[in-house]
Amino acid sequence: MLEWLIDNNVVCHALEAMIFASVACSILGVIISRMSLSSIGFTMSHAAFAGAAIGMFLGANAQVAAIAFSMGVAALIGPVSEKAKMAADATLGVLFSMSMAVAIFLISYMEYMGGGLSASSLLFGDVISLYREEIYSLAAVCCLSILFVLAFYKEISAIMFNMKIAEAAGIRVRLVYYILLFIVALSVALSLNIVGGLLIFVLLSAPASIASQFCFNVKSMFILAPLVALVVSTFGVWAAFEYTLPVAPLVALLLTGVFGLSVVLSFKRRINTEMS
Amino acid sequence: MSIIELESIYTAYEGGSEPVIRDLSLRVERGEYVVIGGPNSAGKTTLLESINGLVRITHGRATVCGLDVRRFGPEVRKRTGYVIQNFSFDPFTPFTAEQVVMMGRFGRLGLLSRPRKSDYDAVRRAISLLGIEDLSHKTIGTLSGGQQQKVMIAHNIAKEPEVMMLDEPFSNLDFTAREFLQRVFKEMVQQGVPILMVAHAFDGLPDIPIHLVVMNRGRITSDLSCQAGEIEEIIRKECGVEGRCLSG
Repeated sequence: MLEWLIDNNVVCHALEAMIFASVACSILGVIISRMSLSSIGFTMSHAAFAGAAIGMFLGANAQVAAIAFSMGVAALIGPVSEKAKMAADATLGVLFSMSMAVAIFLISYMEYMGGGLSASSLLFGDVISLYREEIYSLAAVCCLSILFVLAFYKEISAIMFNMKIAEAAGIRVRLVYYILLFIVALSVALSLNIVGGLLIFVLLSAPASIASQFCFNVKSMFILAPLVALVVSTFGVWAAFEYTLPVAPLVALLLTGVFGLSVVLSFKRRINTEMS
Repeated sequence: MSIIELESIYTAYEGGSEPVIRDLSLRVERGEYVVIGGPNSAGKTTLLESINGLVRITHGRATVCGLDVRRFGPEVRKRTGYVIQNFSFDPFTPFTAEQVVMMGRFGRLGLLSRPRKSDYDAVRRAISLLGIEDLSHKTIGTLSGGQQQKVMIAHNIAKEPEVMMLDEPFSNLDFTAREFLQRVFKEMVQQGVPILMVAHAFDGLPDIPIHLVVMNRGRITSDLSCQAGEIEEIIRKECGVEGRCLSG
């Protein structure tokens, strides 16, 4: 897609992948962070991680297994919270631990059996060796995230305001919530190869948190968060190739650095402090 | 046909071992002003949330606006207003008062449709009725508790509900604001919209016949018509305890 701009195929693929992953995750991150469900991010990322490990263990396609497992976890979150009468965050905590345990168990077992498995690409991502199909999938999920927000904007904004009030207004909260879970699961599973299971949470949380420091309304958060993600990812990929640094950790560090800076510079925080 | 018909309903929270409401029957007609009183944990809030389907009815028959609540919960909620109790919004909540009032229309609009002129008109009318025009562009988290309460009432009025339910709507309001809102509710009642109000203070109620429902331990212990000035005395007798500490 960006070959007309960048000659080097590896750099081109890395940049495309990073842009699509960060834009998709940052858009979804705005919803998740406002709903105080940040744990969805790390639960999904570890579910994808566990799914990939299961795929490798069974000799199947790791990415397909990652998608299937994280979709399964997404399908469990809602009903388990309702049936067990627990806060969604508590359910997510249990599912997160279970996913992590499955992943570590299988990776350790395969290493012990001499399977020659390297889990580093799952943990930290491997943006260099991406297939074109993976980038197309990421582009599709990025479009899906944007379409989801455009189509359900009024429902999403009401749910972000207050879930109970939205439900009392007659909004189909459950339907929108489940669609959100599935799109997050898909985005996270597809982004696993790029930033890895441990770093993907940064893409979900940092751009949304940066945007929330400056934006007074939701619409501007949905614009600023992906914009920040896009600029930081592009700069990160360029800097990583220019100075031979690991791409994903560099982007993660840059995003956390920008977040720190945004907290210091936030005029919104200053206004609210003065008012209170 | 009554606008609300409950016949021997039981409700329980998911995972709860005992029903919160048991064998409860109630009829509410259009244009009635219903006050629900009783001691703490009597099931007053649960009754309101059973009527709009937020809490699941496990047994019995419940019909609201001609719809079976157990089957058509979201549809019932689109047509009934409900001002919840004890809400608070943090100062960073990125929604203006006007946007929050508009959200009251979203259920009626349905999925994938955008607000139209009639929706904006309904929002403007609700804001003007509550006299909160000067707050409409302020973010809701920066408003006082009383102002937030007014915004939430406007949110429900903008919905143009067929039934209006309020859970302790005066908890954050001074006497002037209470009187003002009571006039608004009286006007709604005169237009045929029944008001169901859980309250712990009964001063300032309009001078019209009140349908009083007294609850205790998940059951209705009194269901009668009276005047506003008689409510406190009736509840006091009914529950055998002195003063307003009865309710909550």
